[in-house]
Amino acid sequence: MTESTKPIASRRRILQGGAAMGALSFAPGLMAQNAPVRIGYSMSRTGPWTGGAQVSQEPNFLLWAEQQNAAGGLDVKGTKRRIELISSDDRSDVETVVRTYEKLMGSDKVDLVLPPWGSNANFAVAPLANRFGYPFLAPTALSRRLVEMKLPYFFLLLQQPKSMCDALVDMFKANGVRSVACIYVDDLFGLENYAAFKVALQGTGINLVEDKSYPGGVKDLSPVLRSIKDKNPDAFVGFTYPPDTILASRQSKEIGFNPKIFYASVGTAFPLYKNVMTPAGAEGVMGMGSWNAKTSPGAKAYFDAHVASQKKEPDRWASGACWAGLEILTAAVKQVGLDRKAIRDFVAGTTHKTIIGDVKFQGSENVGTPGTVSQWQNGEFEVVWPAARATAKLNANKPAWK
Amino acid sequence: MNDRQLLTRDLLVLFGLTGWGLSLPYLGSEFMVSMGLTCLMYVALSSSWGLFCGSTRYLSLATSAFFGIGAYTCAMQLEQLGWVATIALGAAVAAGVAIVMGAAVLHLRGTYFAVLTFGMTELIRHAVTYYEKSVTGTVGRVLAVVPERDTIYLTVLLLAVLTVGLSMWVRRTRLGLALMGIGADEQRAQTLGVNTRWVKLAGFAMTAAVAGAVGAAMSVRWTYIDPHTVFNPFIGFQTVLIALIGGAMTLWGPLIAAIVFSLLAETLRLQAPQVYMMSLGLLLILCVLYLPGGLASLRWDTWKLWRDDTRAWWKEKKREWTGEKAREKKRSREQRLV
Amino acid sequence: MTLGAWLELIGSGLITGGVYALVALGMNLQYGLMRILNIAHGEFLMVGAYLTWMAHTSLGLNPLLMIPVAFAVLGVAGMAIHFLCFRRLVSTSPNLDIFEARGLMVAFGLMFLVQNMVSWIWGGDLRGYDFMTDPVQVGGAPVAGNKLVVFVLALLFSLGLLALLRATLLGKGVRALMQSPVGAQLVGIDTKRLHPFMFGIGLGLSGVAGCLLSMAYTISPSMGEPYTVTALIVITLGGFGSMGGALLGGLLLGVVEAIGMHYTNPSLKALLSYIVFISVLLLRPEGLFTRKTRKA
Repeated sequence: MTESTKPIASRRRILQGGAAMGALSFAPGLMAQNAPVRIGYSMSRTGPWTGGAQVSQEPNFLLWAEQQNAAGGLDVKGTKRRIELISSDDRSDVETVVRTYEKLMGSDKVDLVLPPWGSNANFAVAPLANRFGYPFLAPTALSRRLVEMKLPYFFLLLQQPKSMCDALVDMFKANGVRSVACIYVDDLFGLENYAAFKVALQGTGINLVEDKSYPGGVKDLSPVLRSIKDKNPDAFVGFTYPPDTILASRQSKEIGFNPKIFYASVGTAFPLYKNVMTPAGAEGVMGMGSWNAKTSPGAKAYFDAHVASQKKEPDRWASGACWAGLEILTAAVKQVGLDRKAIRDFVAGTTHKTIIGDVKFQGSENVGTPGTVSQWQNGEFEVVWPAARATAKLNANKPAWK
Repeated sequence: MNDRQLLTRDLLVLFGLTGWGLSLPYLGSEFMVSMGLTCLMYVALSSSWGLFCGSTRYLSLATSAFFGIGAYTCAMQLEQLGWVATIALGAAVAAGVAIVMGAAVLHLRGTYFAVLTFGMTELIRHAVTYYEKSVTGTVGRVLAVVPERDTIYLTVLLLAVLTVGLSMWVRRTRLGLALMGIGADEQRAQTLGVNTRWVKLAGFAMTAAVAGAVGAAMSVRWTYIDPHTVFNPFIGFQTVLIALIGGAMTLWGPLIAAIVFSLLAETLRLQAPQVYMMSLGLLLILCVLYLPGGLASLRWDTWKLWRDDTRAWWKEKKREWTGEKAREKKRSREQRLV
Repeated sequence: MTLGAWLELIGSGLITGGVYALVALGMNLQYGLMRILNIAHGEFLMVGAYLTWMAHTSLGLNPLLMIPVAFAVLGVAGMAIHFLCFRRLVSTSPNLDIFEARGLMVAFGLMFLVQNMVSWIWGGDLRGYDFMTDPVQVGGAPVAGNKLVVFVLALLFSLGLLALLRATLLGKGVRALMQSPVGAQLVGIDTKRLHPFMFGIGLGLSGVAGCLLSMAYTISPSMGEPYTVTALIVITLGGFGSMGGALLGGLLLGVVEAIGMHYTNPSLKALLSYIVFISVLLLRPEGLFTRKTRKA
C-alpha cells in the first residue's frame, strides 16, 4: 500500500508546486493593485461609553469606509485602494484600549489608525501615537491638558472648554443675561468647563448665583434645582452628561423651573434628547452643538447618507467633528499617500475645508472652529451663536416646558 | 509527595514561569507583551487575594480600593521620587490603609465583611473625588513622564513572582498555618492561642501591599487616571472571580485561572465581548455549585465522581418515572404496618 | 426656607425613598429568609425596566399594564433561578457561613450573566421614553405625574408585602422560617416549596421597581448596580431581615439625601451616605430599627 501512495503523493506535490509558482508570478501585480488600506481602531461596544461611541463615532467610521469603497476605494495619491477596517470592542476599559492600539500599531503595523471614544481613552493613546508615529484626529477628546501635552501626532477636533464657554458668555452678554446658575458633573469634563466658565464670566458683571457639583449617575437633582429656582436666575447652565442632561431637563419641568435660557451640555446634541423629551418638550433648550444639515450642502449630504446607511441620525456636535476629521484624513492620503509623517505634516500645516467649515490646527488644538451654541427649535438642533454660523435665529425666551 | 518534594516542584515551576516571562519582551510581539502584562497583573492580584481571603474565608472586595490608592500615590509622587521608590510607597500606603480598615472591620465575618469592604471601597473613591475636587481643584491626574514599557513589564513580572513566592513561603510558616486555622474555625484557633487579630491584620496588609504596588505600576500605562477608572469595582470583582474559579485556597489555582481568563478574554473580546462576561459569570456559578475547590482542585477522581453522580441521578430519575419508586414505597409501608 | 419649600423637599425625598424601599424589600426578603445576599438584585430591576421599555416602544403598551407582567415574569424567573442555582448550595454547604459565602458568589456570577445578557440582546445605548411627565399639583407643590405614580405604587407594594407577612398564613410561615428554619420544618412548613416561592416574590418586586423606574429615568444595562448598593444601605439601616425596618430605612434615606443635597452639594451626599452606611454596619450591625435580638 505504501509503495503505491508514495508516487501519487509526490506527483501531487509537483503539480501543487507548479501551480503555486505560476500563481506567484502573477500575484505581485495583482496584489499591488488590490492590497487594501488597513485601518485599525478600537471602539466601545459594551460598557458605559457605548452610548456616546455608538452615536458620535463608530457609525461615522463605518459610513466613511462604505462610501469610499463604493467609489472604488480610498484615493492613495492617484491609486484607488479598498479600505479594510480592523476593529474590536474595547469594553470601555482603558487597559484594553492601550493593548489594542499597541497591537494595531506595534505588531499588526496597520497603515492608519482611527481614535477611540472619550477623553480617558484618548489620554491613554496619545503618547502611543507619538511613540509609533501614527497621526490621530480625535473628535471626542476634550481637555486642556491633552493640548498642553504638546504631542505632535495628536490632534483634537472638538472645540475645547475655553472656546465653548467664551462663546456661551458672549451670547449671554448679547442677550442681557444678568444672573446665571451652574451645575457640573464631578469629572474632568465638568470641572474643566466650570473652570473655563468662571474665567469667562470675570469682568462681565454677570452674577453666578449658584454653582453645585454632582456625581455622575445621580438619581435626583430636584433639591438642587429647587434651590436654584428660588434664586430665579436668568440662565441655567449644566455641564452634564446625557443621563444627567435628561434628568435635569425632566426635573426642571417637574418643579416648574423655566429660566429664560436653559443650557445643558452633552446629550442635547443627541437625537436621543429629542426622542425622550419629545420635540415639543425639547423646544428652546440650548446646548453644545456646532452643526446641522443646514450648515453647508456637504453637511446635508453627510446627514442624509448617515441616516440612509446607519439607520440613525448623527449627533449635532461630535459627529460633525468626526466626519470632518475623516474628510481631512481622506484629503491627506490623497495628497501625500500613506507616509504617516507626511500625513501628520499635512494635517498640521494646512487649513482644511470640511462640512463644519475651516479646520486649522495650532499645535494639537483646532482653532478653526469657534465655540458655538445651539438650540432646539421645531425638532431640530439649530446653531444660534455666533451669528456668522447660525442656522436659525436665537430665541432668548425659552417657552414653558411641555 | 512529602513536603520537600512539593517545595522543589513548586520552586521549579516558578523558575520556569519566570524564565518564560522574562523572555517575552525580547521574543514576543508588542501584543503578546501587553497580554502578558495584563495576565501578570491578575496573577499578582488574585494570588495575593487568595493568600489572605482563600485561607481565612474572609471575602474581601477591597482590592479596587488598594489598587486605586497605589495608582494615586504613583500619580502624585512619580516626579519627585524614582520608579522603584514610588512602587514601594504605593505598597506601603495601601498596607497602611489596610491596617486601619482591618482594625475596624476584621471582627465581622461572612457577608458583613464582604459588604463592608465593598462599602469602604466606594467610600474611599468618593472621598478621593471630593478631596481632589475641593482641595486640589482637579479630578484626575496626568502622568506625563512615564518609564519605558519594558520597565513596567519587568516590574509587574517581579511583583507576580514575588507574590507567588510569598504565597509559597507563607504557607510553610506559622503565619500561614494560623491563617488556615482561622479559615477552618476561628474560635477554635483563638482557644488554641492564635492571636487572630494580628494574624488577620498581617494577612490583609499583605494583600493590600501587593494590590497597591500593582496599581502604582499599571497606572502609568493609562497616562490619565481618575477615581472612576482606578477605583473601578470591576477590578476587585474580576480578581475575586479569578481566584475563586482557580481555587482560592490553592497555590497555583489563581495563577492558572488568571492565565486561562486572560487568553479567554482576548479571544472572546474579538468575537463576542459580552459572551466573555457572560461565560465568566456562568463559570463562576457552575464552579461554586459543582467545584467549590476551584479549577486547581480538579483531579482525575473528580471526573469519575461526576460521572458516578450523574449515573446515580439518572438511575434515580428512571426509577421515579417507571413508577418503581412509588411501588417500593407502598411495599415498604405495607410491610411496616403488618 | 418657607414651610412650602420644606414640604417640597421632604416630599421629593419621600418619593425617592419609596423606590429605595421597594427595591430593598425584595432583597431583604431573600436575605432574611434564605440568607442569600442577592447582589444581582439590581440587574433584575434593570431587566424589568427593559421589558417595560420594549413593551412600550414596540407594542405601544401602557407601562402601568406592564407592572403585573413584570412581576409575573420575574417571579417565575426567580423561582427557576432559585431551583437551578441556590437549591444545591443548601445541601452541599457544611455550615451557614460557607453557605452565605457561596450564595454571595453565585449572586456575583448572576450579576455578570444577567447584565451582559441584556447588553447583548438590547445593546448598550441609553434608552428612555416619555410617560406622564406633566407635573401634578400635590398640596401646592408640583410633582411629576410619573413620580407620583411610582411613589404610590411603591408604597402600596411595600405595605402589601408587610400585610402578607403579618396577616396571612403564608406570611406566618415565612416569618417562622426566618426565626428558626429547623423549628419551622418540624412544625410542618414546607421549606422546599416556600423558598423558591419567596425568592420569586423578591425578584418580582425588583421587576416591578424596574418597571416603575423606567417611567421616570433613562435606562441602560449598567443602571442596576447603584440600586443594589442603595438597597444594601437601606437593609443595613433597617436591619437585615426586618421588613418594616427596610420600609422606614428607605424612606429615611431618601429624605436624608434630599436634605443633604440641599444644604451641601450632591457630591458630598454620596460620601455621606457611605459614611452613614459604614458607621451603622460597624456600630449597630443589626440595624437602626430592630431590637437587639440578632447577633452580628
